[in-house]
Amino acid sequence: MNIWDMLSYAAWVAAGLFLLWIVVDAIKVSLTYDEDLLMSSREGLDELDPDQAQSHAVENSHAK
Amino acid sequence: MQNNTTTESTGTGTHMNMLKVLTPFHVWALGVGIVLVGEFMGWNFSVAKGGAYGALIACWVIGLLYSCVAMIDSEVTSTVAAAGGQYTQAKHIVGPLMAFNVGLYLVMAYTMLEAADALIVGDLMTAMAATFGHEGLDPKPFVVLTIAFLAWLNYRGVFTTLSLNFVITIIAFASILVLFVAVEPTNPGAVLQHEGLLTDLPYGWIGVVASLQFGMWYYLGIEGTCQAAEEVRSAGRSIPLGTMGGMMTLLIAATLTWYICTGLLPWQYLGQAFTPLYDAASILGNTKLQVLLFVATMFAAIASANGCINDAARAWFSMGRDSYMPSFFGAIHPKYRTPYRAIIFLVPIAVSFAFTGLLDQVITFSILSGLLGYTFMSLNVIKFRKMWPLGSIHRGYVHPFHPLPAYTLLALCSTTYFATFLGYGSSLLSILAFYIVASIWFTVRRYKFVKRGEQFTMSWPRPKGF
Amino acid sequence: MENIYKPPKQKWFGQAFDSIFILVLVYASLMAPLLLDSDDEVINPDNLSVQVSPTWEALNVNAVEQQQWEKLGFDAEKAAELINKRFDYTIEPISLIVTALFIIGYFFFMLKVSKKQYLEVIAEKFGSSSQD
Repeated sequence: MNIWDMLSYAAWVAAGLFLLWIVVDAIKVSLTYDEDLLMSSREGLDELDPDQAQSHAVENSHAK
Repeated sequence: MQNNTTTESTGTGTHMNMLKVLTPFHVWALGVGIVLVGEFMGWNFSVAKGGAYGALIACWVIGLLYSCVAMIDSEVTSTVAAAGGQYTQAKHIVGPLMAFNVGLYLVMAYTMLEAADALIVGDLMTAMAATFGHEGLDPKPFVVLTIAFLAWLNYRGVFTTLSLNFVITIIAFASILVLFVAVEPTNPGAVLQHEGLLTDLPYGWIGVVASLQFGMWYYLGIEGTCQAAEEVRSAGRSIPLGTMGGMMTLLIAATLTWYICTGLLPWQYLGQAFTPLYDAASILGNTKLQVLLFVATMFAAIASANGCINDAARAWFSMGRDSYMPSFFGAIHPKYRTPYRAIIFLVPIAVSFAFTGLLDQVITFSILSGLLGYTFMSLNVIKFRKMWPLGSIHRGYVHPFHPLPAYTLLALCSTTYFATFLGYGSSLLSILAFYIVASIWFTVRRYKFVKRGEQFTMSWPRPKGF
Repeated sequence: MENIYKPPKQKWFGQAFDSIFILVLVYASLMAPLLLDSDDEVINPDNLSVQVSPTWEALNVNAVEQQQWEKLGFDAEKAAELINKRFDYTIEPISLIVTALFIIGYFFFMLKVSKKQYLEVIAEKFGSSSQD
């Protein structure tokens, strides 16, 4: 087995580890956090739109 | 690495939003990073289609097309600052079905380009092994590793991802400048042989038109800067700055690349070369330059794949957030603040595109999806100015000479469709068929899951004429 | 704000089905051109069959070009294969018209349906009448 074969195997293993890491983390996140919270991002909240950002913030404080 | 995971101070306690951490440099790195690989490979197929001069005309005509794209996009995005980019623009200005199609263009164009980029990395590894005497190295593990590593990086936060892109894109761009200096441009005939190598148009003007299709490689993806809109600080200023700066970088890089390659390689060779800039460096007989260009080609491919993952995931995420696509994908990672489910979902898809063995088809699909998107942009900006005239809403940037850029863009897009028809007529039809079937599917089945009024999220007044 | 449309919640099975559906569609359209047999690239047969072992002169290669070809490691025979490759740009008017109609029809259909849906969005967001 030469260095290139070893590199190939190393690449497979490394790729597997990276993918395993993100999948495990994603599952952990789903189990730990409430789905509604994960889905709660809002489009268009931006400093371009100070009024809107504020009104959303107000909505939030009411929601609590 | 973790400086982007601090909690937000904007008071959006119950909202899990993306982090605003990016600067104009990141925007530049995202745009140029996706595109620059086109200078290292791909653009040269336009030489085969229309000869060396044909490719130069294509470079500048398509450069004009993309300058229109960059101007129009900068104006609309500086107003609609959301992760979906053109998808969100379409939703607010044209309507839901258009938005669905635009979202699909983005996801398809970027995911397929990502697959092609990863394949390049794999092929470069195989080529490197061959130069060291190991023939027939399997590129697959390196293709998968590229996609897996970049997905992991994207998953862990946008700041690190695009900072890396900035560094490797700068190196790749610098390598073109170094090569340009090395070929002694002030001393024509010494190294560069334009006089002997440049020929008349081999196919006449029809060949020039045909070469427009691959001329898109010089710039394809610069419009991806918009996808960063939700994560960049003061988007209204940063996006136009990064996009325009990127466009200028690319015009320079494209012209230099053409100049170097056509001065060293016979056009028939150049027209089918796999790595033209690297080949140009290799025949100079300077090992250092050769290594530099090899590394730069690799970096350019990685930067492109990285930017593509970033953009495709954001487009897919935005469609999920509005239930255009399954709402499962509209989730944000609580710690890294990235669209993590969209990132994971697109990994196996990119890998499968890379392994279909239909690279030609995949690339055509990607280019054509981009082209459909530009056609949309010209229609979009005309409507945008009509429905919200200047002064009615705050714009971060206003592009000059409206409606000239819009009509120029539309005309150039039509010509490029014709170019695609010349080379890939049946692919063109089958790709259009895909978007038509998908549109029907969306209208009949998906749209019932979408909230109506709520998808209009900008705090603009009622559009004129509605 | 009358009559706000309330979309149904989609179960996970439907979500998975929809994700897969769109993928199947993509693969189908990637494969389709292979079945349609697109032969866009043709090798010029006159040049190829006549020349058994071509020379640089016969290929119309000038001295500078020859020098660069040789630097790239090509001899005349290997280069001939690339040099004789030609594209065919004959335009079939019928397929051009069909393609053009296809593109225009696609955009027309999309803009029309979008407008209908957009009116609904605006009505729900800003109220149904257009007077301010």
